[in-house]
Amino acid sequence: MLVVFIVSTIMFFMFRIVPSDPTVMLVERGISEEARQALLERWGLTGSLWEQYLRYMGGLLVGDFGNSFFYRAPVWDVLLPRIVNTLWIAVPGLLLGALIGATLGMVVGWARRGGAVERGGILIATIIRGTPSFIIGIALLAVFSSWLGWLPGFGMGDSGGATGVMRYLNFNFFIHLILPLLAVIIYFIPENLLLMRSGVVENRTEDYIELVRAKGVSDQRVAWHAGRNSLLPLITWLFPALAETIAGIVVIEIVFSWPGIGRELVLAVTRQDYPVAQAAFFLLAVMIVLANLAADLTYGKLDPRVVYK
Amino acid sequence: MASSTLVSFISENSMSVTVQDKQDITSPRMFGWFLDPLTMLLRDRFALAGLVVVGVFAGIAIFAPWIATHPPYEAALTPEGRLLRLQLPSSEHYLGTTTFGHDVFSQFIVGFRVAFIVGGLGAIAVGIISTLFGLISGYFGGFIDDVLMRITDVALSIPTLPFAIVAVGLLGPSLNNIILVIALLFWRNGARIIRSAVLTERERVYVKWARAAGASHFHVIFRHVLPNVFRVVFLWVTMSVAFAILTEASLSFIGLGDPSVTSWGQMLNTAFSSGNLRSAWWWVVPPSIALVMLISSLYLIGRAFEEQTNPRLRRT
Repeated sequence: MLVVFIVSTIMFFMFRIVPSDPTVMLVERGISEEARQALLERWGLTGSLWEQYLRYMGGLLVGDFGNSFFYRAPVWDVLLPRIVNTLWIAVPGLLLGALIGATLGMVVGWARRGGAVERGGILIATIIRGTPSFIIGIALLAVFSSWLGWLPGFGMGDSGGATGVMRYLNFNFFIHLILPLLAVIIYFIPENLLLMRSGVVENRTEDYIELVRAKGVSDQRVAWHAGRNSLLPLITWLFPALAETIAGIVVIEIVFSWPGIGRELVLAVTRQDYPVAQAAFFLLAVMIVLANLAADLTYGKLDPRVVYK
Repeated sequence: MASSTLVSFISENSMSVTVQDKQDITSPRMFGWFLDPLTMLLRDRFALAGLVVVGVFAGIAIFAPWIATHPPYEAALTPEGRLLRLQLPSSEHYLGTTTFGHDVFSQFIVGFRVAFIVGGLGAIAVGIISTLFGLISGYFGGFIDDVLMRITDVALSIPTLPFAIVAVGLLGPSLNNIILVIALLFWRNGARIIRSAVLTERERVYVKWARAAGASHFHVIFRHVLPNVFRVVFLWVTMSVAFAILTEASLSFIGLGDPSVTSWGQMLNTAFSSGNLRSAWWWVVPPSIALVMLISSLYLIGRAFEEQTNPRLRRT
């Protein structure tokens, strides 16, 4: 809670300290002084810095982010659909990436040390991990959109006037979803793979593995024992990773022109639409704090050795 | 083992002091804190490959002005004075031209330099901040540790790329601001990691001996503790170079890069925003591959450190 408070305070002052004047884009030239004052009042830009700060923090407490300079609409109305759009690629992307990554990580971790599978797996995973997400996006676009021409790589498709849930439940939306989602999955696999592999490698020399082996069970089942115990750090890593990914998806959203919160943040910054930029950043920071909290709690649940007093 | 003879070879040559006693195997090796990690890297084949790539790239970065064939922003014209847009690679333009008639090869070569400036300066700043934070926090403990770690907690809850976008967007897109943002973002994890290494080091007996012998805190920290956690610092600095290059590339691709320099991210951004991403392969492929190679190589080097610092991962 304190962390959220500090982050939003830093955020507020970051936006106010910069010399550029938001009223320049907000207020048309040649407007009378009274009209200008009235406008500033409406956007909460009057009074001293301190008054503005109090008003802003008061607004945050009741979930009011103010109005967007650009859209001339409440920030919530602007951001809410964007958040939903982002979750569409972030959540399935993260889960599938984790699932595939962990499975492959178990295979690589259980492979013979120094063998072809291990070395090849590590090398490929590291190279993909070293690939900036926008290059993954560009490569997918080049192959599936330009070369093969199978999938669209721009936007979310025409809604055809559908609103609400129906906006998302149509074929056009899904074929637009595939490429960005695939980019997020690929972006996510290597880190999961390498983490899982370290866990399995650490576990495979433990005594209990010898015990399971001595019972005469098959190699796969022994691997499963080591894998299950390596899942623990992976799961706790996932929650903070979710928040970081949603942040890291910004670039993927830009490549595919996916109208999510990250792309909106970039647009808001370039448009000097401070209320939207502030709110988008604030929401991302809150997500990270909550994710860390969730990770701590799950860890306590999963590992009985950890006790929270 | 061959590598241990290499170690002794290097250390004997680099030490100007005379070796007091050949039998004395515990004789202090002056640059061991630096040479040990290095020889360890040479033993790991992936890390060695990574070092070679980084070395070659660094060479290109240094000699970039002599390798580049054209000024990066000079528009190529036909004899009739028309702009040579989107030319395929030729003997005049090794990697073709952009939609503005700029020589891709020269922009690409200059990009090496930008990557190393950003990566180098960013990592040095990150290294200094996180090492100081980690050393002070871990060594003194108690109240100082509490305060510093609270600050780190707050810093850790800031989403990295969004912060970079907002900060660079507000401060203005320049290389200095980008490096500043990188330093502000990546010290926090490093401080945590270095602190925990210092914590275990602090409990070692030699620290107590040194204190008992009258050594100052300053002396103990920089003469004894720092050389022993140097592997961890080295690991973090290596990773920071990669993060710095990645962050600069991402920011530039988004369109928040320094407009006065040609970085790889910038090249991709120009190709993307001018709508030539899908057709002009000669313009898109070189910077992409260079970015992947450089960042992966740094990760490979970092991984070798990780494997060696974690005894449970070490191969027996």
